[in-house]
Amino acid sequence: MNNSVKSLVAVLFGLIAGALLMALTGHDPVEGYKYLIQGGLKNPERIGNTLATATPLILTGLSVAFAFRTGLFNIGAAGQMLFGGFCATAVGLSLELPRALLLLVMVLAGFIGGALWAVVPGFLKAKYNVHEVVSTIMMNWTAYWTVYYVIPAYFKGTSLETESRQLPADAMLHQQWLSDMFQGSYINFGFFIAVIAVLVVAFLINKTTLGYELKAVGFNRHASEYAGIAVKRSIVLSMFISGGLAGLAGVAQYAGNASSLQIGVMPSQGFDGIAVALLGINAPVGVFVSALFFGILYSGRGFMNAMTEIPPEIADSIIAIIIYFAATSILIERLYHKLKLRRAANKKQGE
Amino acid sequence: MKKGVLSLISLALSVTMLAGCGSKPASEPSGGAGGETPKANFMVGMVTDAGTIDDKSFNQGTYEGIKKANEDFKMKYKYLKPAGQTEADYSKEITNLYDAGYKFIVTPGFKFETAVFKAQDKYTDAKFVIIDGTPNSGEPDAPPVVKENTVSIYFAEQESGFLAGVATALHVKDGQAGFIGGLEIPPVQKFNWGFQQGVAYANENLGTKLVINKENVVYQGSFDDVAAGSQLAAQMYDRGVNVIFAAAGGVGVGAINEAKTRVQNGSDVWVVGVDVDQYQDGVYEGDKSVILTSAVKKIDHAAYDMIKAEMEGKFPGGQTLTLDATNDGIGLPENNPNLSDDVLKQVDEVFNKIKGGEIKVSAEQGDLIK
Repeated sequence: MNNSVKSLVAVLFGLIAGALLMALTGHDPVEGYKYLIQGGLKNPERIGNTLATATPLILTGLSVAFAFRTGLFNIGAAGQMLFGGFCATAVGLSLELPRALLLLVMVLAGFIGGALWAVVPGFLKAKYNVHEVVSTIMMNWTAYWTVYYVIPAYFKGTSLETESRQLPADAMLHQQWLSDMFQGSYINFGFFIAVIAVLVVAFLINKTTLGYELKAVGFNRHASEYAGIAVKRSIVLSMFISGGLAGLAGVAQYAGNASSLQIGVMPSQGFDGIAVALLGINAPVGVFVSALFFGILYSGRGFMNAMTEIPPEIADSIIAIIIYFAATSILIERLYHKLKLRRAANKKQGE
Repeated sequence: MKKGVLSLISLALSVTMLAGCGSKPASEPSGGAGGETPKANFMVGMVTDAGTIDDKSFNQGTYEGIKKANEDFKMKYKYLKPAGQTEADYSKEITNLYDAGYKFIVTPGFKFETAVFKAQDKYTDAKFVIIDGTPNSGEPDAPPVVKENTVSIYFAEQESGFLAGVATALHVKDGQAGFIGGLEIPPVQKFNWGFQQGVAYANENLGTKLVINKENVVYQGSFDDVAAGSQLAAQMYDRGVNVIFAAAGGVGVGAINEAKTRVQNGSDVWVVGVDVDQYQDGVYEGDKSVILTSAVKKIDHAAYDMIKAEMEGKFPGGQTLTLDATNDGIGLPENNPNLSDDVLKQVDEVFNKIKGGEIKVSAEQGDLIK
């Protein structure tokens, strides 16, 4: 069964289940979905917002997918994103450079911050075989509390204790003509960073020797080692790249969609990235498309709530159901196989 | 690449399929309908802050005020829950409400300051109420800008904390008190400082001996970590604290849980609730509760009053209001089953003294703890 068909079926099942939930709670599913889509795509401003909402998801999805492809389960995209965003914010608040240069340094800082945050679990995995699921989750909280203490200590806003100072306009990814093009949407350069990242990762993973090696380690560590691939180096490098991508998500989120860094908030995009990667069958372009889909769901949801009587909690459940089906798309494949086998068996009996 | 293209097509298909379902365009709410005569098809919208609508605090208080207004004025009302806590998330929900025709928008919490700052200019025919904050651009030292279509409302938390402190001291008489806060932000700090002043006042004037030690004044750092709340409360009770004032949302719920367990095991400990009457949250058996009393901010009044004012055409646009003892914006709950009549009487006297200006409660830290 083709992988993308699987994803489509997952989305379809999710939407049907969501429709059932709406119907069961006495709401009109057709109307609900109509406003959900409208909320995401009705006018240029909403389209821009949808793209901007999708931007961090593209990058965290890419981060998780890249790790998956190389045999690693990077569950720490949230922490890497937070720390990457923190590094970019720190640079944006401290350095005074011409805008283009400043943004470039911020993006680099974000990438490297996220990458370093992921290298630690990568190193522990390569050297001591510590499972990355455990260590990346622990790194999430390390990032959370690091930001929690450093922001109020060094980058505190004037009035609020709970967020950093606002980034100066020059240090933000917003550009007036871009906002104008989308009629005042908060879309920003982050989206282009995400598109570039998708292309680079697609090239890296499909067309280069390095990508081949990283994938080989993912398929079979021992066979790769036997084949002469530096397995340990590959694991660390995979985590480096994966973390860097999540770090870019942090740049897009905290210097693009938001203008300051709040403490005490773990970015939800980190975990959503896992669902995005699964739905996007771990392929860069697939991730891009599934992140856009999530973007529509997230930014259309509010309009659906506003126009219908569907309470926000039901809307959350509907999104969760869709994610759930996406994440369990492997079950759909099993179901398909079972059906096929049964049909074959029936046929045989018939003969 | 093929996979990607396929998933693109599949997505496009599913989207068009859905879009096809709804052929009729949504009836667009007409632009400048708002203005000065809002009575007909008046619609009140609310965007929730971090946390759920039943958070026993800001969101719930505001929503209850709106619901109460609905009983009297019969309007359409609705709340939206943003996906995250950034300005973009908040602005998006404000736009959603506006586009759907909700042009009286209540936003509970200081986190809405920048979102409302932009929205009050973008949607000049809508009206905004922001509770516990004033609109500002978010830039360093940005002045508050309350436009003609916006009202900003503050509470005198220190007075509410003061009353709770007096009541607590009068009830416990001799022992130790502690404080657990959520984030170290002005409203929570003011509760803390007011509480300490209240305890000190009772010690000096009403013959109590309630001590607050430095190590028992803690800001947990979030409003949602229930487990951490239990842990902090456990540590304090172990150090001999008899009563904890918990101004910390979900963290406070943890403290309440810990107190329940301890009371059921026979110890005599209390929690003082915050924002709303938390008596019901502390019930452990029948109608017995570990909540001694609560330092209440009448958030529901704020929402109700603003809607009422708008209905009567008296919306105080452009103003920054403070709800305190003089306008009954703060106080203790109406019913305090755990406090004796004698205590309540004395607290009432103190309340009237605050009202009359005889007692001044400071909103500054001064030499208080944290």
